[in-house]
Amino acid sequence: MENVYLITGATSDVGCALIRRLYRPGDIFIAQGCGDLAQLAPLAAEYPGAIHTYDVNLADPDNVTTFIQLMQRLHGAPTHFVHLPALRVVNTKFRNFDEDRFMLDFNLQVRSAIALCKAFVPAMAKAKYGRVLFMLTSYLLGFPPKNTAAYITAKSALGGLAKSLAADYAASGVTVNCVAPYMMETKFLADTSDLIVQMSAQANPMKRNARVEDVVPAMAFLLSEEARFITGVTLPITGGAAL
Amino acid sequence: MEQHELMEQIQAIFRENFDDDSLVITRQTTAEDIEDWDSLEQINLLTAMEKQFGVKFTLDDVRDLENVGDMADLIVRLKG
Repeated sequence: MENVYLITGATSDVGCALIRRLYRPGDIFIAQGCGDLAQLAPLAAEYPGAIHTYDVNLADPDNVTTFIQLMQRLHGAPTHFVHLPALRVVNTKFRNFDEDRFMLDFNLQVRSAIALCKAFVPAMAKAKYGRVLFMLTSYLLGFPPKNTAAYITAKSALGGLAKSLAADYAASGVTVNCVAPYMMETKFLADTSDLIVQMSAQANPMKRNARVEDVVPAMAFLLSEEARFITGVTLPITGGAAL
Repeated sequence: MEQHELMEQIQAIFRENFDDDSLVITRQTTAEDIEDWDSLEQINLLTAMEKQFGVKFTLDDVRDLENVGDMADLIVRLKG
């Protein structure tokens, strides 16, 4: 069966590595980025005709609506939906909680996921097959670190959406899961102090942070046919740091 | 930078971080003296100092810091 993958945040290090991992001839990748589609150029060259790139600001609900309409017209419903986007984590004391930035992140991560799932998951159910996967964080496992209320709140909402969708569509061949990686050394950490990155590595039982190549195979598994009886789970990819 | 000027800037970072304008910081101040000063606040303090003083700490630099004086000396050393 030909797969149609919708990957939001596809321009991230994880998104690009995931496309490379998943690609099989005949598959189509609808790859969303925002102002950074150049990141996908090497993949588009490597897999001619397979990568369809879209520059969409998912934090803007109107842009999301237009994107959905365009997708429905050009590609129909995807077989797989992977949702990766998030604003970078900013450690902020709660008294300085930036509500505007939070709403931007909430729209980007949660509201867009709701709109995209609402548009495509019922069609997946009708086709009796679908895979949905959200990117969460190991911060959600156990007691979260201080000063991350905005990030934790948005990711928790996304986790709640995943569980609800898993329950709603369990009988229809659609699985909805999440991965929760430990701090991952990608360009997402551009605003994070090296000291924090080093301390995080030191605190991990495996004495290092997560790497893209630790996370992508687990994602590929949850997206695979073989993972058909797994739904509603959040898979920790933490080197044992959080269970 | 003069030592007293450095200590004033460090004190401002502590006051901002702990949201306490009455906080008085000396070279001898340790985590024992400030109730909320835990390992995560230590990271916040150090990253604020990195920004303020234009330095980069490594894990080895900060592992054995025992008090504010050690922090100040480290900043002076890294700024050359």
